[in-house]
Amino acid sequence: MTGRAHADYLALGGDEVVMSMKLLLGDGAVAQAAIDAGIAGAFAYPGTPATEIFEYIAEHAQPLGLSANWSANEKVAYEEALGMSYVGRRAIVSMKHVGLNVAADPFMNSALTGINGGLVLAVADDPGMHSSQNEQDSRYYGDFAQVPVFEPATQQEAYDFTLRAFEYSEQVGLPVMVRLVTRLCHSRANVRLLDDKRVVEQRPRPTGNNWTLVPSIARARYSALVEAQPRLLDDAQKSPLNKLRLAGRRGVIACGIAHNYLLEANDGPGDLSILQIGQYPVPATLVRELIGHCDDILVAEDGYPFVERKLLGVLGVPGKRIRGRLSGDLPATGELSSDLLASAIGLPARATKTHDGLAARPPQLCRGCPHIDSFKAIIDATTGGDAPFLFSDIGCYTLGVMPPYRAVHTCVDMGSSIAMAHGAARAGAYPVLCTIGDSTFAHSGMTPLIGAVQQDANMTVLILDNSTTAMTGAQDSLTSGSRLVDVVRGLGVKPEHLHIIDPHPSHHAESVEVIRKAVAHRGLSVIIAERECIHLKVKNKAEAEHAAQVSS
Amino acid sequence: MKQDIILAGVGGQGILTIAENISSAALARGLEVKQAEVHGMSQRGGAVQSHLRLSDQPIYSDTVGLGHADLVIAAEPLESLRYTQYLTEQGMLLTSSSAFVNIGNYPPIESVLEKVARWPRHCLVDADRIARAAGSGRAANIVMLGAASLFVKIEPRELEEAVATRFASKGARVVEVNRRAFRFGRNAAQAYLAGLASGGTSVAVRHWIEKLSTEHLARPEPPDAPVFDPLNVGEGLTAAESHAVENALLHAHEEHRPLFEHEVYQIVQLVGAIDPPHHVFLEPEALISEEQLAQFPGEQVVLKIVSPQLTHKSDAQGVVFVPKRYDLVRAEIDRFLAHHRKHAEVRGVLVVEYVEQAASGFGRELFVGIRATREFGPVIAAGLGGVDTEYLANKMRPGLAVAKAVAADLRAEDFLELFKSTVAYEILAGKVRGHKRIVADGELLRCFRAFIHLAQRFCVDRGEEGPDLAELEVNPFAFRENGLVPLDGRARLATAAKGRPARPIEKLGSMLEPKSIAVLGASATAVNFGRIILRNVVEAGFDREHLYAIKEGLRELDGVRCVPSLNDVPDRIDLLVVAAGAEQLPQLVKQAIDSGKVQSVILVPGGVGETEGSSELVEQVQAAIAKGRTRAGGGPVFLGPNSLGVLSRPGRYDTLFIPASRLDKRIGAPARKVAILSQSGAFIITRLSNLETLDPAFAVSIGNQLDVTVSDLLAAVGKRADIDVIGLYAEGFNDLDGLALLRQIAAVTATGKDVILYKAGRTESGRSAAAGHTASVAGDYDICQAAAEQAGAIVVDTFKEFEQLLELCTALHDKQVSGVRLGVVSNAGFETVGMADAVLGQRYRVEIAKLGEDTSARLRRGLESNGLGRIVNARNPIDLTPMANEAMYEEATRALLEADEVDAVIVGIVPLTAMLRTVPGELESDDALPARLSRLFAHSKKPLVAVVDSGPAYEPLVRALRRAGLPVFRSSDQAVRSLGRYVTARASA
Repeated sequence: MTGRAHADYLALGGDEVVMSMKLLLGDGAVAQAAIDAGIAGAFAYPGTPATEIFEYIAEHAQPLGLSANWSANEKVAYEEALGMSYVGRRAIVSMKHVGLNVAADPFMNSALTGINGGLVLAVADDPGMHSSQNEQDSRYYGDFAQVPVFEPATQQEAYDFTLRAFEYSEQVGLPVMVRLVTRLCHSRANVRLLDDKRVVEQRPRPTGNNWTLVPSIARARYSALVEAQPRLLDDAQKSPLNKLRLAGRRGVIACGIAHNYLLEANDGPGDLSILQIGQYPVPATLVRELIGHCDDILVAEDGYPFVERKLLGVLGVPGKRIRGRLSGDLPATGELSSDLLASAIGLPARATKTHDGLAARPPQLCRGCPHIDSFKAIIDATTGGDAPFLFSDIGCYTLGVMPPYRAVHTCVDMGSSIAMAHGAARAGAYPVLCTIGDSTFAHSGMTPLIGAVQQDANMTVLILDNSTTAMTGAQDSLTSGSRLVDVVRGLGVKPEHLHIIDPHPSHHAESVEVIRKAVAHRGLSVIIAERECIHLKVKNKAEAEHAAQVSS
Repeated sequence: MKQDIILAGVGGQGILTIAENISSAALARGLEVKQAEVHGMSQRGGAVQSHLRLSDQPIYSDTVGLGHADLVIAAEPLESLRYTQYLTEQGMLLTSSSAFVNIGNYPPIESVLEKVARWPRHCLVDADRIARAAGSGRAANIVMLGAASLFVKIEPRELEEAVATRFASKGARVVEVNRRAFRFGRNAAQAYLAGLASGGTSVAVRHWIEKLSTEHLARPEPPDAPVFDPLNVGEGLTAAESHAVENALLHAHEEHRPLFEHEVYQIVQLVGAIDPPHHVFLEPEALISEEQLAQFPGEQVVLKIVSPQLTHKSDAQGVVFVPKRYDLVRAEIDRFLAHHRKHAEVRGVLVVEYVEQAASGFGRELFVGIRATREFGPVIAAGLGGVDTEYLANKMRPGLAVAKAVAADLRAEDFLELFKSTVAYEILAGKVRGHKRIVADGELLRCFRAFIHLAQRFCVDRGEEGPDLAELEVNPFAFRENGLVPLDGRARLATAAKGRPARPIEKLGSMLEPKSIAVLGASATAVNFGRIILRNVVEAGFDREHLYAIKEGLRELDGVRCVPSLNDVPDRIDLLVVAAGAEQLPQLVKQAIDSGKVQSVILVPGGVGETEGSSELVEQVQAAIAKGRTRAGGGPVFLGPNSLGVLSRPGRYDTLFIPASRLDKRIGAPARKVAILSQSGAFIITRLSNLETLDPAFAVSIGNQLDVTVSDLLAAVGKRADIDVIGLYAEGFNDLDGLALLRQIAAVTATGKDVILYKAGRTESGRSAAAGHTASVAGDYDICQAAAEQAGAIVVDTFKEFEQLLELCTALHDKQVSGVRLGVVSNAGFETVGMADAVLGQRYRVEIAKLGEDTSARLRRGLESNGLGRIVNARNPIDLTPMANEAMYEEATRALLEADEVDAVIVGIVPLTAMLRTVPGELESDDALPARLSRLFAHSKKPLVAVVDSGPAYEPLVRALRRAGLPVFRSSDQAVRSLGRYVTARASA
């Protein structure tokens, strides 16, 4: 991409734009763009593959005077960002796709209230479920909330689109979603950066009470949002982020990263007519133009068949072949690749050699992980009696479902373990235990615990406090150590039924005894298993040594 | 320019750092870069990969398509194979050969590397070891980057700069280590390719590279590859195998516990010893899945409890058999766990395939074990397996139940030969009636080789390298389809013994034949030990010009010049004898070293290192000697302390502090070509007293081996031309000195000399309750005996036997021994019958020669001409009857000596018959037996020995025969036993 084209995207005009180069992850490109767009703060809860967006900003925050602290959960993060926007500053909030389920409430409603300072939601989908519970497609959320969605294909686009998203957010007064996928988030490439960083002034407070969604105001706001839709569509149709190239009679609609796979498979555009979509709503005029020109249209999108479904509608497109995930030309699930695109456009696959029957190396809990000892203690404490119901949550400890453990029966969503256990206890199940990490507890575990306390539910909650959000790379946890104990006590758990254990092999017998007693108690018990994540321990030790070296 | 690379490894190995470095170097060049990482759920220890694409044109996809990669860079060999489908036909598969063993079914590492080596273009680099050589084991990823710099289309210099930049924040040392790692890696990869190009196989080339020094790897240019011998692929474990085993040992090492059965299986599988039965290890909370169970062959499975406290699982009901039905197996696992948790710390359940055996019953199970011994280093044993291993080993003749050997210099082929003489082999190989062969020799060889290699690498002190293996054994192996299947295994770790630094033993030459001697500690007023020594030295004829007594205030003592101190001796002192009190030793040792003129020292004082409270003295002396070793020349060598002294006929001196009135040492007699080396001084003088005409060239009382050891002296004496026979008496060895002695015995006996060993101390130091079968069936004494014989020594069980064999060896050294067929002559029926009865002994087998017609006829003629034709049968043994005279004796003996079918002859003489001249006065006659037999002995090339089984009245006869040069025994069966040992040893040498 030339500097010129790049500048076009940003609608900056002119050759005077100075660029420098940096090797960045897709996540890093989004983050750098947010910084370059002049944000005042970033908000997030860790979640693969979006984590590095926030981490990148946090790493650069201090000299720039940016606010960057992990939030308790995605809903909170979104609301914090929204608040920052209301007072006239730019803000970015980032999360993984399922995090948006948690943040859906403020997200949907912020489309009605509108924003003041530019607000960008960077959301990372995980086609192929590399590290997620599902592969939901966030473009549906954008459509649902009726806000613009940008979908970059490359790291450069991740940078450019994010910069533009801030401008556009302020132009239309709406939050803009930047939709990413794992492969883009976790892949590095050279990115040309804007050198003349602009200082964005705080925008004045708008007049009128637009942000209070009482029915009378909400109705007016919703009408305004609906009325804005033709403009959003028109913008998308004219946007340089959507590009139509007409050539042969075979056409491809390539959304976001699918465009890369297409060009890779075909070694460039060749004779294909291509509509590359990078901005939603789906640019209808461009789609019509492509379909008018071609007989055979392949829709390639990494995620759900969002565009393909819109094209087909109920009746389909008479006289045209529309192919994609729905037709079976691309697999219905999973991540796309250049190999899949090659076969979809009719190119032969390369013969490859492989060695069969290699011993697998599955993920496992790390050596020295405190969860191992917690699981062993739980199993030992519950062996011999009725088979326990073991509810669990989202974190490293979910690996308790893998061999050699069998200490996890459920994993649904953040914080669900306590609520599900409560439900099971209410049904008379016994014994009922649940395991939840300290960070997950802060995220969504406190609310269900309040209910369980109030009901004195016959269940045992184990909060596995390893002082960090380990699974995503040891980010800070908001409630651990004594703070966690205070919070649990504050939620009303009786002191005599709140226990603290050290999940270490040397204390195994004591831990088993504590759990056994807690399970025997006919009511709610909370056990906090307090021991640092082995990586955090190693990391802290290394940092301490480094600090000692530097000072000496 | 365009290049697509796949990086692979295990979480935590730092492959992303490799990718980052290449990326940043590419970026600095202005290339387009795409680098995709895949890391998901808690991938530490799981498989990780990264796609890296470089181009001077725009790059579309973040990932590489199948069949499109130019290069795979893998930090782990098994992981490298996962990505071969990405490579183009000519793609380069570059991988570290260092396995990361964190899964239970890691295949034999060499089979993995062989798959890599079959790739059209590949390169193997032992990244972990090379990283350590470069200064940090953590730099293995940078070693791989250095290796990759041969294939990545970026200047190596630019890649190296990227590394330097990457580590700049961590300080100059870290940067330097990583630069070295980079260069070493590049050189190692280049050397590997060069080795393949010059015709080496992957294994041979890796063995060669493993032996390259750090200096070689550090040179700017890689080393030139030798021309590889296709037949010689190198011996021992490969570095890759050793690394993988080390990895597999770490878990138990960290937990300070023995290895579990499945961990033993993993080790033997990694080195390709045998294929373990199908098995799955389940931790207590683990659940076997239906798919897992379905993978087990057969109709039932075996459950075994895994606990560090239950080493004998069968005894503790820790083994059950369950029909292979999912519900039954799950229920049984739960019951099994619950049951054992009541009394033991349970770590899990091992589910193992039920092995349908080819045969069962006595002798159909094999035991193979290795262990680290303190004295002899690594040891291997193999034999009858099962629960009765020890019982059988202890009840059967040595070597019959269990073959055992020191593994240090052992070849698997030689061990198989040893094993072939066991009952186990005879049964397994179908050599016993009613048995079919159930194992192929090749499989045994493969198994033995792997065990020997493991022992050589791990049953030794490995310093900082990692944990040492104290013991590893599989008992039993079962058999199916001619192959071995382990049914149980155990192993434990401990720090192995470490040998001491070598002594400058060339100085022992000065001790054996000194040109100057100084004696310290002779009293002027009393006859103390020092004074006796001084007198004995003078008595032995040592040149007084070069003899000194260190004595203040005296000019002369017993005719020997006195000087006040060591420094006043005008000569170099070849030998200093220290006969002062023990408490003065540290200071005197220091003086001897500091003087710079002393070559060797005999430390006489006793009670050092033997009694309580003397350990401090020992430490001081050792520290002083060790300090001396750091000086030029290494200081003197020290014999003792607690040395009774040295008698040296070639050196014309005698420091044995026994007065002539107590022992006639026949100091003037010419030296015979024999030496006695003994840890006990009293043992020497007792032998000298018994064997009064032995007249050894050297008798050395070695004492406590604080410095010079038995093997040092064997080396010094064994290389002398005036020595043919060496008698050794050893009690105990310093760490690994037993091994040094074995090596020395092998070296000495290889030159045609005889070594006779009596090893005292048969209580087993190696045995303890925690020890396994190997320690029980191959304890230190057993090993010493077996290994010394394998090395070529004649090992004796009694002092009498020691004397007899010393006498035999000395007298018969020049004879030829071509077989074990004995000819026997006697004038008493009981002797001929008794000798015939003694032909099969514990450790020898001889035959009574069957005479040919010629010999029989010759004997008949002799008998007839002596008038005995009617009463004596011309056969062997020949009973001449009391009627026989000397002429008949001579004729019969000559006939047997000259018969081709006879290899050695024993002449039994019952001297009470009136037909023989056997008492003083008659004896001296030229017609008497001493003269006649002496002539026969001198003229024959075959061994000839005499037996005189009579009372003190016939001592003169015995003495006369001995003076005539014949070995003489005092009972006939004893003669067969000793000569049997001797000819068996000589004939098999």
